[in-house]
Amino acid sequence: MAPRDREEPPERERCITGIDGLDNILNGGIPRGNTVLVTGSVGTGKTSLCLEFLVHGSLAGENSLYISATEATAKLLSNIIPYDFFDRKLVRDGRLVFIDLPVIYDKLGLEKLEFEFEEVNILINALANIVDELDIKRLCIDSITSVCYRLKTQENIRDFILKLGSMLGSRGCTSLLVSEISPAEERYSLYGVEEAIADGVVVTGNLERRGDLLRTLQVVKMRGTMHSRAKYVLDLTTVGVLLVPLLKGGSVAAPGG
Amino acid sequence: MSVTSEVSAKLEALPEAAAVALRMKAEHYFDVIRAMLDVFATKKNLDSIYVTSTIPSTSIINALDVLEIRLDHIWFVDCISQIMMSPGQKHEHAIYVESPTMLENLMLKVEFLIRKTRDRKNIIIIDSINSLAIHNNTKILSEFLHILVNNLRAKEAYTIIFSMVEYETEEIRNMLNLVSDEILEVEGKT
Repeated sequence: MAPRDREEPPERERCITGIDGLDNILNGGIPRGNTVLVTGSVGTGKTSLCLEFLVHGSLAGENSLYISATEATAKLLSNIIPYDFFDRKLVRDGRLVFIDLPVIYDKLGLEKLEFEFEEVNILINALANIVDELDIKRLCIDSITSVCYRLKTQENIRDFILKLGSMLGSRGCTSLLVSEISPAEERYSLYGVEEAIADGVVVTGNLERRGDLLRTLQVVKMRGTMHSRAKYVLDLTTVGVLLVPLLKGGSVAAPGG
Repeated sequence: MSVTSEVSAKLEALPEAAAVALRMKAEHYFDVIRAMLDVFATKKNLDSIYVTSTIPSTSIINALDVLEIRLDHIWFVDCISQIMMSPGQKHEHAIYVESPTMLENLMLKVEFLIRKTRDRKNIIIIDSINSLAIHNNTKILSEFLHILVNNLRAKEAYTIIFSMVEYETEEIRNMLNLVSDEILEVEGKT
């Protein structure tokens, strides 16, 4: 019997990250509107990756928003890599916007340390208003882990990320949610829920090989595109994040192994 | 014919973006460097990226100074100075890799310099396969060269891999045969 012709799903529009290596890994970029978890331990380049994604976005005419939950914007900007392509005019012109999450909490009167269903809705609505008002097409929350601390239960976290992803996706806004994990962690997020809900998971890490410490990046999941699942070594430079394949040293599985 | 003239003539006969293994005796080392950086790269208007795992970049820079070769279009990826723990001064035309075992980082620094010197084409000199082989096993070194050479070819850059005949092994010769378009011998006949 002749195989039935299967209709190819239409190619989804891409949000080109501007990070060449990552766009190659993702076969052209992140499918627009995806919510991607960027997860890894400290010092592995999560924040730099996100900032570069936003800077390239704003340079390409897509308004971009960085929501900082842990570090004050002023301090963050003083430590930013002096990218060759970064122009402070982007910030002055409102094409690259930085907001401290505690400021949003204050404005919304969200003083409780533990958020319930109602507070989740208030927060999502506030973020939706900001995205609409500023016409945001790229967003990063650094870190989602600190928001999840206030949500406590897996149900609330699931509810928050689902609503956030749906709200942003419906507006064509591509988002990166930074998740902090300890190096020994075997899952991709602190609560084990975030990675299941997100459309994509990008893992950054440190790999020790014969005493050398290499920064690595691996895309383990990305809905809406074929992508490489191999591990890459990354470097944070003034020309942006650079990636090369991790060398395997001719590693071949042992017979029977 | 001097070694410098011999090497520059052989390089000029190469096709664009060729990957070449240059086999030489240690005694011809500085003449080959001169041919590469002064004669060939200048004539072809190339930016040179010199990857050294043999001697620290400062030693080569000092030698270039003596030879009156300007550094304007020469950049170094130095993967030997840091493991020697020498407190030598950092040079503005050199970037440093912690160890010659960090081959991925070596590739990343080459990529970085290529992007920084976008206006001109590049020649990348690997000095040398023999010293890299001291620190790395053949399998990972072959993989490294295979990826690097193909990547550089796609960027229309020349790749020159130095090999000192005195320190060559069968494995190194096989590796060079595998990744190079051509193997040039420096004869040094007078």
